[in-house]
Amino acid sequence: MSNLKKLFAFGLMFVLMLIISACNGEEAADESDQTKGETEENTAPANGEKVKIEFWHAMSGPNQQAIDDIVADYNASQDKYEVESLFQGSYEESLTKLRSVGGTADAPAIMQVFEVGTKYMIESGYIEPVQTFIDKDGYDISQLEENILNYYSVDDQLYSMPFNSSTPVMLYNKDAFAAAGLDPENPPETFEEVKAAAEKLTNGDMKGFSILLYGWFFEEMLATQGGLYVDADNGRTGEVTEALFNGEEGRRVFEFLKEMNDAGTLGNFGSVWDDIRTAFVSGQVAMYLDSSAGISGVVESAPFEVGAAYIPHSEEADRNGVIIGGASLWMMNGISEEEQAGAWDFMKYLQTAPVQAKWHVTTGYFAINPAAYDEAIVKERWIQYPQFQVTVDQLQDTKPSTATQGALISVFPESREHIVTAIEELYQGGDPQAVLDKAAESTNRAIEIANKTSGN
Amino acid sequence: MKLWKRSVNVRVGLLYLLPSIILFSMFVFYPMAKTIYLSFFLTNQNGLPVYFNGIENYTYIFSSDEFRNSMKATLLFVIYTVPVSVLIALIMAILANEKLKGIGFYRTIFSSTMGISVAASAVVWLFLFHPSVGAFNNILKAINLPAVQWLLDPEWALLSVSLTTIWMNIGFNFLVILGGLQNIDESLYESATIDGAGYFTKLRRITIPLLSPTLFFIITISLINTFQSFGQIDILTKGGPIQSTNLVVYSIYKEAFVNYQFGTASAQAIVLFAVVLIVTILQFKFGERKVHYQ
Repeated sequence: MSNLKKLFAFGLMFVLMLIISACNGEEAADESDQTKGETEENTAPANGEKVKIEFWHAMSGPNQQAIDDIVADYNASQDKYEVESLFQGSYEESLTKLRSVGGTADAPAIMQVFEVGTKYMIESGYIEPVQTFIDKDGYDISQLEENILNYYSVDDQLYSMPFNSSTPVMLYNKDAFAAAGLDPENPPETFEEVKAAAEKLTNGDMKGFSILLYGWFFEEMLATQGGLYVDADNGRTGEVTEALFNGEEGRRVFEFLKEMNDAGTLGNFGSVWDDIRTAFVSGQVAMYLDSSAGISGVVESAPFEVGAAYIPHSEEADRNGVIIGGASLWMMNGISEEEQAGAWDFMKYLQTAPVQAKWHVTTGYFAINPAAYDEAIVKERWIQYPQFQVTVDQLQDTKPSTATQGALISVFPESREHIVTAIEELYQGGDPQAVLDKAAESTNRAIEIANKTSGN
Repeated sequence: MKLWKRSVNVRVGLLYLLPSIILFSMFVFYPMAKTIYLSFFLTNQNGLPVYFNGIENYTYIFSSDEFRNSMKATLLFVIYTVPVSVLIALIMAILANEKLKGIGFYRTIFSSTMGISVAASAVVWLFLFHPSVGAFNNILKAINLPAVQWLLDPEWALLSVSLTTIWMNIGFNFLVILGGLQNIDESLYESATIDGAGYFTKLRRITIPLLSPTLFFIITISLINTFQSFGQIDILTKGGPIQSTNLVVYSIYKEAFVNYQFGTASAQAIVLFAVVLIVTILQFKFGERKVHYQ
C-alpha cells in the first residue's frame, strides 16, 4: 500500500514538472507560433513583382488606423514596393518578438522601437544605422526637427529615423479652474504653483493633480530641471556605471508628489493610460500629465474645456524643457539590399510634409518635419485644438543639453519599473530620499549586470 | 544471468514506458535541466548565457526583499483563494446535486466560468474594479460608502486579485465536485434514510467521506494552479502596487521577458518548483490520511 502511495506521489511529481515546464514552454511556443504565422502570411505573394517591405509597429487603436492609411497611400503612390504594416503588440511585446528573429531573414525590414530601446537596438547588432542611407543618398536631414534628431543621434550618427514623437504636457480642466477662482488662461508653472492650485481645486470627488504611474513622467520632471538620469552625461559620452536620478532634482520631484499626497490633493489612478484619462474626463482630477499624443482623445471626450500647459518645474531650477518620447523606425540588417532600399524609400516618404501633417493631426504626435506645421490641415486643426500648439511650443523652447537629450541606457525598461515602485512606496508614506535611493540601487545592479554581460 | 532473468518485468515495463520517457525527456527533463543550467549564469541582452555566476543568482534572490515579498504574496494568495474557492464550489455542487426540475440550467450557470478564458474574465473584472467608473465603486457610492481603490491600494490589491481568481476557479472546481457527487451510490442514501438519518447526518457521514478523493484531487490541483497564476495578475495589476501582487510566476516573467535576465528568472523558477514540490509532498503525507478510498 505504501509503495503504491509512493508511486502515486512520484507520478504526481512528474505531472507537476510537466505543468511547470509546460507553462514556461507554452509561452515561448506561443510567441514563435505567432511570429511564424505572421511571417508566413507575409511571404505569401500578393502582387508578384513588387518588393515586400515588412513594417512592424506597436500602434493600436486610432493610431493603427492612421498607420494603415499612410501605408495604403504609399503603396498607391508608387509601384516598386509594397509595404505591409503589422501590429506586433505593445512596444515591449514587439521588442520581445524581435529578439527571437533579429538579424535573420525573418526579421522585418522596418521596426518601430520605443525611445528607451534605442541603446539596446544600437548594441543588438540587428540594425543598419539610417545614417548609412542618409550619407549614400545625400538626404538632407536638416529639414527635420532638431530637438527630435537630438534624441536619436549618438556620436553625431543618426541611428534610427524618428517617427512618432511625443512629449509630456499638463492638461487641466478650465471649468474647474474658473470654479475654484483660478485664471483658466494662466496655468501654474512651478511645483509650488501646482501645489497651491491643487489645494484650491481639490473639492469633493475631485483631486487637484495626478500623474500616471509611469517612469517617463519622472524622467521628464527630472530633465526639465536639468537633472541627469545616469552618469557619463546621461550615457551620451561614455559607459554608464550608476544612476544619478536620486540626486537633488529627483528628490524635489518626489517631495513635490509627497507633499500633495500628504495634503490629500493628489489622485492616484494607477498605471493604465486610459484610467487616468477617464478620471480626468469624469472630473475626478483637475490637472494631470499626459502625452501630447493623448490630447485629441481627451479634448474630444471631455464635457468641459481642456487647457494644455508646459509640465511644471521646480522653482529652484530653470525650465530646461522636455525629452522626446515615443518611438523611431529602425532599419534591419539581415534583409536583402532591395528591401533595404524600399524601406529607406518608405522612411523618406514618411518624412514628407503632407504625410507628417496628416500624421500629426490624426494622432497628436509631432511632425518630424516642421514644414508640416504650415500645411493647411494642421492650421485648421490648431484652431480647433489650440492645445496642440502648446506641445509644439514646449518642444521648440527646449534647451538642448544632455539632460533634455534623455538618458541612453539599455536597462531602461527595468529602471522604469523601479521608479514606479518607488512612487508607489512614496504614496504609502515612504521617505522621498529613501525610496529613490532604493530605486537607484536596483537600477545600479541592472546596469552592472548589463555591463558585465555586454561585449561577450 | 540471474539478474537478467529477475529483471524481466522491469525491462518489459520500461519498454512500455519508452514512449512517455521519450516525450517527457523532450518536454520536461530537457527544459528542466536547461533551466537549472541557466540559473547559474547571467545572460546578455540577447538572452544568451555569457557570464558564469555560480550560486550568486540564488544568494541574490534569497537576500532580495523583492523575492521574499513575492514568496509571501504567493503564499497569501494561495491561502486566500484555494480554501474559499473549493468551499464555495462544494456548497454549490451539493445544491446543484439535488434532483429538481431545471437543475441542468443551474449546473450550466455554475460551471460557466470554466468556459471563460483567464484573459477575458480578468478584463471583465478590470472594468468592475475601475477606480472611477467601475461597478463596485458605483455600488459603494450608492450606499454611501467610501470608494475603494481596488487594484491601486496595496492593502486591497491582493484581495481583489484573489476575488477574481476565486470566481474563475469556481467553475472547474464545481464541475469536478459535482462529478464526484454523482458517483456516490444512491442506495447508500436510501439505506441511511431508512435508518432515520437526517440531511446533515447524511452529508457528514456519507457525502463528505465518499467525496474525499475528489476533494483531495481538486485541492491538489488548485494549489498547484494557484501557485502558478499569471494571466489575471498580468492584466489586473502587473504585479503592483508596491509589488503587493507580484506573485512568483509573474516575477519570473518580468525578470525573463522585461528585464531579459534569464539567469535570475531561472533561479526563481527552480525555487518555485522546490516549494510546490514540498507543499505537494506535505499534502500527500498529511492530507491523504483523511481520504477515504472505496
